[in-house]
Amino acid sequence: MEIKTHISVKNLNIWYGQHQAINNISIDIPDKKITAIIGPSGCGKSTLLKSFNRLIELQDGAKVSGKVLVDGEDIYDPKVEVTHLRKKMGLLSQRPQVLPVSIYENVAYGPRIHGIKDKKKLDEIVQRYLIESNLWDEVRGRLNSSASKLSIGQQQRLCLARGLAVEPEVILGDEPTSALDPLSAECIEQRLLELKNKYTIVLVTHILRQAKRLADYIIFLYLGNLIEHGPAEEVLNNPKYLKTKNYLEGKFIEEPKINKELNLKRTAYPNNFVTAKLALGDLEFGHIVKIIVDNESSAIEIPKAIEHEGHKILEVRKLNQNDWEIVVQKHNGGYVI
Amino acid sequence: MVRLRSPQVEENIFIGLMIASTFIVVSSLILILATIFIKGFPALNLDMITKTPKGGYYLGKEGGVLNAILGSLILGIGATFLALLVSLPLVFYLNLYLKKNSKLALAARFSLDVLWGIPSIVYGAFGFILMMFFGLRASLLAGTITIALLIIPIMARSMDEVLKMIPFELKEASYALGATKLETAIKVIFRQALPGIFTAILIAFGRGIGDAAAVLFTASFTDSLPYSLFKPVATLPLAIFFQLGTPFPEVQQRGYASALILTIIILCISIFSRILSGKFTKHTIK
Ligand SMILES: Nc1ncnc2c1ncn2[C@@H]1O[C@H](COP(=O)(O)OP(=O)(O)O)[C@@H](O)[C@H]1O
Ligand SMILES: [Mg+2]
Repeated sequence: MEIKTHISVKNLNIWYGQHQAINNISIDIPDKKITAIIGPSGCGKSTLLKSFNRLIELQDGAKVSGKVLVDGEDIYDPKVEVTHLRKKMGLLSQRPQVLPVSIYENVAYGPRIHGIKDKKKLDEIVQRYLIESNLWDEVRGRLNSSASKLSIGQQQRLCLARGLAVEPEVILGDEPTSALDPLSAECIEQRLLELKNKYTIVLVTHILRQAKRLADYIIFLYLGNLIEHGPAEEVLNNPKYLKTKNYLEGKFIEEPKINKELNLKRTAYPNNFVTAKLALGDLEFGHIVKIIVDNESSAIEIPKAIEHEGHKILEVRKLNQNDWEIVVQKHNGGYVI
Repeated sequence: MVRLRSPQVEENIFIGLMIASTFIVVSSLILILATIFIKGFPALNLDMITKTPKGGYYLGKEGGVLNAILGSLILGIGATFLALLVSLPLVFYLNLYLKKNSKLALAARFSLDVLWGIPSIVYGAFGFILMMFFGLRASLLAGTITIALLIIPIMARSMDEVLKMIPFELKEASYALGATKLETAIKVIFRQALPGIFTAILIAFGRGIGDAAAVLFTASFTDSLPYSLFKPVATLPLAIFFQLGTPFPEVQQRGYASALILTIIILCISIFSRILSGKFTKHTIK
């Protein structure tokens, strides 16, 4: 079955002042699936997520380069009306942040600012989305009381209802269950599973079991780099690269020590592969070589061919617009740190 | 053994110090109130708050200070309103539209802090020069504008602190729903900040209504009730100042009664604001 892309990230870089938080990431996020962004804390998960609805622009000193296409339209194009974009992208944040108004007004806030004034219609919307987020039965009798008096778990469901009420196409969740008790967390997870038929869901999580339960697709980030991505079963059960494996096993992630660097720019496959193969022949077992190439087909073909030779691919990473790096360990002797 | 006990001694010294400080604050409030009450209460009667000054001496031994009460209230409310018109847009601009480390915001906050520290007599002198420049005479209008200038830094800086306390995530939540800055400002931030904004207004009003130096040259003084923006107006602080300054004990006592009236007005505002801000906090997030 052909997978449709909803959000397409192209050569995305994000800086906070001098600090680069996202490092040349390119990735496609599938339509009407749950995509989980995983990785240790501080690796740029929230930053990447916030670039999808341009909330990143509110951060002081944040600078974005590259493209994010939503439905094929570059959202960083100056012509894009940012309020329309954000209406499309519902957000569930780490800590539920209700608005300082009643429960009813929390849900009605979005529809109101987008022009719905009719009281009956608003009533309908409020009820519909409170039901959809499984909160209706608990609050139907006190819609006019303060949202801030609800429990944290209820507040998060209210935030979900509030987000759904503007009829988004995408739901962005930034560790939406991390502040909740187990029962409320499960409730939110259940909602997300039901909602994925109608919405594209991008979920940041550092809980691996949650990623296993929910995700169809996994993106693994480490220090602002895209290390690995792919269908959830493949990445979680059978990771291609060393860093992913270490992270999934709860091991310390360390940069491999490079014994040799090989610049194979301006040569094409299979010539560059032959050079690489010869270079590997000169290396000791277990030593590591970093190969730089400047075209995508080499970056795809060389790792396959090298793996076929019995060596181990530790990482394949896009460095910038043109260049890719391939980190290879000689023979399959097991990687020792 | 001695070593074990010494932290206890230190602790006791600090606790003693804290109790003493608290005692000084509370007791000076009580002392001030008691003095004003004891000296002023005997002279306080219905005439004081329903009549204008009458009878012989400057400011009179008879009648009351209704001129000053009304003058102060009108001037105070007018000035607070003017200050609000400037402060609200200013603080929303500072907190929502400018970046945290923007030079303009820095300059604005620094100016407000400096302005806050300038003595009110300087505002009075400045207001006077401004007044001469525009060909105005000492009047309700000139006094109101001067007091407004005096309380803008107080009001704006208090509101600024309130807005700074608003969690960033709250703004984010509103923007994430596709709200514009203005919608976020009016429907979310303002709601959340309302109790604090209200307190800031009342603090500024209290400061404005109690100031004598700023109105000395600009609003002047009169025995008659306020009736025109362009005529001098009486104020309570100046009434107190003049009454206490006379050599006549009866008039001096009336000065304490006026002080008592001013104190009661300010006390009422404080209590009133406590009650009202309790109402405003209904939906706010703690
Ligand atoms: N507003 C900010 N200003 C400066 N640096 C930031 C800011 N927000 C995040 N960072 C830095 O960017 C990196 C990625 O942060 P983040 O995206 O929040 O990581 P994650 O969500 O994966 O924990 C971290 O090193 C963090 O310190
Ligand atoms: Mg995060």
